[in-house]
Amino acid sequence: MKLNFSEVNNFKVIEIIGRIDSITAPDFENGVMKFMSDGVTKLIFDCSKLDYVSSSGLRVFLMAQKKLSTNKGMLKVCCLQPAIKEIFDISGFSQIFAIEDTIESASRN
Amino acid sequence: MENQVETKKILLVNQLKELETISQYLEELAGGWDLSVPFTMKLTLALEEAFTNIVNYGFQDDESHEIALVFEKQNNRLFISLIDDGIPYDPTLTTDPDINLSAEERKIGGLGIFLIRKMMDKVSYQRIGKNNVLKMEKTITPN
Repeated sequence: MKLNFSEVNNFKVIEIIGRIDSITAPDFENGVMKFMSDGVTKLIFDCSKLDYVSSSGLRVFLMAQKKLSTNKGMLKVCCLQPAIKEIFDISGFSQIFAIEDTIESASRN
Repeated sequence: MENQVETKKILLVNQLKELETISQYLEELAGGWDLSVPFTMKLTLALEEAFTNIVNYGFQDDESHEIALVFEKQNNRLFISLIDDGIPYDPTLTTDPDINLSAEERKIGGLGIFLIRKMMDKVSYQRIGKNNVLKMEKTITPN
């Protein structure tokens, strides 16, 4: 798993590449929480290259959402591959997160 | 050819790094048993959740323990057993999280066993002697 950090239209973007399983989830959590500690309020998870996620990764998505809600921030999840979207649907995460098809739509306020 | 049963077995130790072994093993199994990529991902997810739970919560000593995975294919039906000698634990007794809650209300965690249930058709547990035996079943489908 690898994370790339960038910025689009005032949104901070975390691109997730590879697999988030019980082995890589701690790195994912550390990377996300460190990035968010700088007072990030508008965040996009770019999941176009996320190939696999288990409950250990889903919990980090939820932690980020909770943290941003507390700060009146905004979290968007974009570009989920169909198999990952199915896991989000099953977990009820598709209702919790603002899910967008492209980075462009996600970064449009 | 009717009712032909094929069985495969792999022995693992109680360390999370074995998830890579499981993932590779499933890819080989998928090749041999002609399982689709989406179907194999569901198996990988169910097995990761079950295996991680055993490794993280199953043992109270620092010894190395063996965890066996047994795969059985009977026509278009797949049966998987996870066998460990950890403390008695029946994951099928846990209640599902309420997936209709908002992010603020949702508890962090508790999704693992729920995902196993959703990925597989049937999940059952038995304590046999000093072993936990978690059995999962799924009809082989293209997706």
